[in-house]
Amino acid sequence: MAGNRKNQSTAIRFGPALKALFLCMLFAGSAIGYVWQKNEIYRLSQQIRQSELRLRQMTDGNEKLRVKLADLRSPLMLDQRVRELNLGLAPAQPVQVWRLPEPPAMPPGSNLLARQLAARQAVAPLTQ
Amino acid sequence: MTKRLQLRRVLALAVFVCAAFVGLGYRLVDLQVLRHDELAKLAQDNTQREFRQAPRRGDILDVRGNLLATSVSVKTVCADPSLIGNQQAVVAHTLAPLLQMSEAGFYQKLFPRVSRDEKGETVTNNLHYVRLQKNVTDETWQKVQLAMSQLNFGVDEKKLPESGRAFFRNLRQSAIFADPDQMRVYPNGSLAGQVLGFSGVDEFKLDDWPVSQISGRDGIELALNSALGGVAGWRVTETDRQQHELVALRDEDVQPRDGLNAVLTIDAAVQHILETSLADAMQKHTPASITGIVMRPGTGEILAMATLPNYDPNKPDTISPDTRNRVITDVVEPGSTFKIVVVSGALNDGVVRLGDQFDCEEGHFTYAGRILHDHEPFGTLTTEGIITKSSNIGAAKIGIKLGEDKLYDYATDFGFGQRTGILLPGEVSGILHPVKDWTKVSVAQIPMGQGVAVTRLQMLMAMGALANDGWLMRPMLVSCLEDRAGNVVQKYEPQRVRQVVGDSADKEMIEALKTVVSPDGTAAGAAMKDYIVAGKTGTAQKVENGVYVHDKYVASFIGFFPADNPQLCISIVMDEPKEGYYGGQVCGPVFRDVAERCASYLNIPADSPAPLVANTGYPH
Repeated sequence: MAGNRKNQSTAIRFGPALKALFLCMLFAGSAIGYVWQKNEIYRLSQQIRQSELRLRQMTDGNEKLRVKLADLRSPLMLDQRVRELNLGLAPAQPVQVWRLPEPPAMPPGSNLLARQLAARQAVAPLTQ
Repeated sequence: MTKRLQLRRVLALAVFVCAAFVGLGYRLVDLQVLRHDELAKLAQDNTQREFRQAPRRGDILDVRGNLLATSVSVKTVCADPSLIGNQQAVVAHTLAPLLQMSEAGFYQKLFPRVSRDEKGETVTNNLHYVRLQKNVTDETWQKVQLAMSQLNFGVDEKKLPESGRAFFRNLRQSAIFADPDQMRVYPNGSLAGQVLGFSGVDEFKLDDWPVSQISGRDGIELALNSALGGVAGWRVTETDRQQHELVALRDEDVQPRDGLNAVLTIDAAVQHILETSLADAMQKHTPASITGIVMRPGTGEILAMATLPNYDPNKPDTISPDTRNRVITDVVEPGSTFKIVVVSGALNDGVVRLGDQFDCEEGHFTYAGRILHDHEPFGTLTTEGIITKSSNIGAAKIGIKLGEDKLYDYATDFGFGQRTGILLPGEVSGILHPVKDWTKVSVAQIPMGQGVAVTRLQMLMAMGALANDGWLMRPMLVSCLEDRAGNVVQKYEPQRVRQVVGDSADKEMIEALKTVVSPDGTAAGAAMKDYIVAGKTGTAQKVENGVYVHDKYVASFIGFFPADNPQLCISIVMDEPKEGYYGGQVCGPVFRDVAERCASYLNIPADSPAPLVANTGYPH
């Protein structure tokens, strides 16, 4: 028995060492994880802030472009441009407008050719 | 003995320690329980910031989705005078030109202002917040930031102690800051200005912090203020020393609910046509004012409404009482346009027929001690002829035949003496006295448009009823409200008010109104080339100091086309025109101009359509 005790005292006891190592790694891992998590939260919050800022800038820019588009499409501006460019544009007179009758509705399932034929037949009598 | 002494010492120490713990305990209870609310608030104030998130005010669009009013983001540039020290002159000299302010005024604003409240106590609310300029664009704000970061105060800051360097650093970084704000913009300038109205800024304090908010002052901006305004949100969060938000510590974040977009029935192009025609007429006849309205009679949708002189909502300083929306705010005696009420009423009741003849007394008719006149002597006229020639005496005789009560009933049924219900502020109801207040001559005077006061809109709606099979419609100015994604939140449908006259009377009346624009009628100048027009002229003498004056008139023409399938009803009214004063003479041509341009733009089928061409199927 004594010989065994002597041998044991000099031998490396892996169990407790592993336990200690595991605990150390656990604590160190937790600490690193905590710091990493905090860092990620900070990084993501910065990213969110930047994205929000960018979104706001883009929305504002979009609004400005909308206003500019509205300005360019305003009747006053169009009128002015037509006069400036001297294109000789004038509203069409009613007699210059040609109206074509709508083709009659075809039952579902009828093919395109039949529809076109019906449309031609609808127009033809009026042209005589 | 020694042991006893030691025991006493231990006891004394224990008592002392216990007392200390009791003291600490009391302090703990004091801090955590007794003063909890006060200290919690202090701690919260030190760390948390609450921001109001302003909603975006909704747009106003025309019926085709063109932008008539919108909000753009701008900055309100502010200063913290406590951070500026004695460097006001340098800051003012640099920033005043960028913000388009006078340097002296700017300089004064940078001093901490100490004021006294109503109790006479000194308050320093403006110590950290002074508003310098509103409606600053992002580009200008960036220039301001750049200028501040490059400010040179003429001292070698490297030689200064840390406190001195910190002062200049704070001055550059934090002394001038900007709050997000909105500005209302009307891209079409004065187009439909009186319909859109204008907006102002309401300022109030929220938790001792100044808040500004856009709100409507007139027109649609005022009428739909709550729908356009939206609901503010808020954010409770924490900031760093540079006042940058720490997003990770954001606590509450309630997004604002943006205002709804209002889609009007107004068509910007039709509005432009109307305004340019009115402007030409204004130049030609130099009236005190001129108004015009374009409406779809079948639905009551107002496509255009204009009054000249007008204003540009972008420039509120140009707004004056003279630029009000006279279409709904002013009343006038309608003159002969009111004859449509008595004649259509009499036709509806079968009191007269279109072919019945009336002796128009060669222009002089004495009734109830008063002499009534025509603008020219007429002998015998049919009911239709009374409308064609606009005979006052003929209309008076029809009125007498119809009777007071019926005349009053028809006037009321056509909507006179009551508001039309248009969604605009400031509409008046006009004046239609009850029968008990009428004089003996009223029954003869009212049919010719005297003794009654109406708004231009009421008169248009009455004519619109005749163009709509006798059905009086409620005027529609708003088509729908939609959210920013374009989803319709509220739809406004056309509303019938009542049927004033039956179909047959209505058709007879339209036949009579068609003759007004014939060569024999009073408004030959209103006739259109490709459409049959029905309408009525009006020329009312103005009343000053209780008597009719002979050199001031309100001229009008109200008509619709195509007469047999009315698509548009148009009213043109001039107040005190020069170079002519008869309604048909001065307003008729304006009507024709507006009508022809609108017909072309809206592609209204002509009454005499062009034939289709053979073989090709395409127009030549």
